[in-house]
Amino acid sequence: MWFLLMFIILLTNGMSAFGLKVIVGWGLPGKVKFPYLSIWYAAGFASIFLPMIFTGVRVRRREFFWGAIVAALSIAGQIAMAVALDSHVPGHIVFPVAVGGSIIVVALVGHYFFNEPMNRFTATGVSLGLLAVVLLGISAK
Amino acid sequence: MGLVLCLFGALAFGLLACVSKIAERRGCAASGLVESAFGWAAVLMLLGTGAFHTAFHMPAKAVTIAVVFGICAALAYFAFQTSIRTGKVTVAWLTMNLSTGVPAAVSIWAYKEKLTAIKLIAFALGLLSVLCLFWGQRVEVKQTVKVGAQKE
Repeated sequence: MWFLLMFIILLTNGMSAFGLKVIVGWGLPGKVKFPYLSIWYAAGFASIFLPMIFTGVRVRRREFFWGAIVAALSIAGQIAMAVALDSHVPGHIVFPVAVGGSIIVVALVGHYFFNEPMNRFTATGVSLGLLAVVLLGISAK
Repeated sequence: MGLVLCLFGALAFGLLACVSKIAERRGCAASGLVESAFGWAAVLMLLGTGAFHTAFHMPAKAVTIAVVFGICAALAYFAFQTSIRTGKVTVAWLTMNLSTGVPAAVSIWAYKEKLTAIKLIAFALGLLSVLCLFWGQRVEVKQTVKVGAQKE
């Protein structure tokens, strides 16, 4: 099951941001980003809402609360990156720092607060992956 | 200032993954959390659209793209949230970020972008990383089964 979930993440998460590149390629103005993202989030909301109706799962107070924090952090991160890019920090610095930095934050918190030890294969995988993500960020300038 | 903002972005994204793990430990259902997060974000983006006086006119093809990739994002976050119940949050978060290699590869094919040496090295490292992570998970599952059998 875990392997299947990782495969789904690999296929879907990266592609989810690809749409912005497609609409830039069509020459649509940058202002379209706000309505685009509104529809993008609303579509994600609807796609989970329908199965929830059929399975009878409800959003309780705790999900409502933690979901709000997740949304705020997601938007805060996006805005920080967008403002950094607007203040002429090159993309090959912004993306590796933001993405690579987030992985380091999660690895440290995972190790010290969530008590998630890593075996040598996992530790090697995380190190190589961090390097790969930073290189991908540099190449995305 | 710009670099501080980059570091702030790193902290915000890192905390997002950590908050997801805390939510999981507090007993939040994966689907409920994804639903709530996407609902809040949609509302905030709608408010942003209004605040910046952005017209809501978009060509139908852009709406279609937004819907398709929005569903992809929800599916990805749902898979991430479900996976951290049994797996490590660091590995799942790294996989989320390694997935940026997929659109990079699609861009090379669709937009005839140049396959640079850096990209090639990044793809090779990404592939090696995924193999190591999968192997690490296999070893861990085997060890858990072994410990369980010894206890019995």
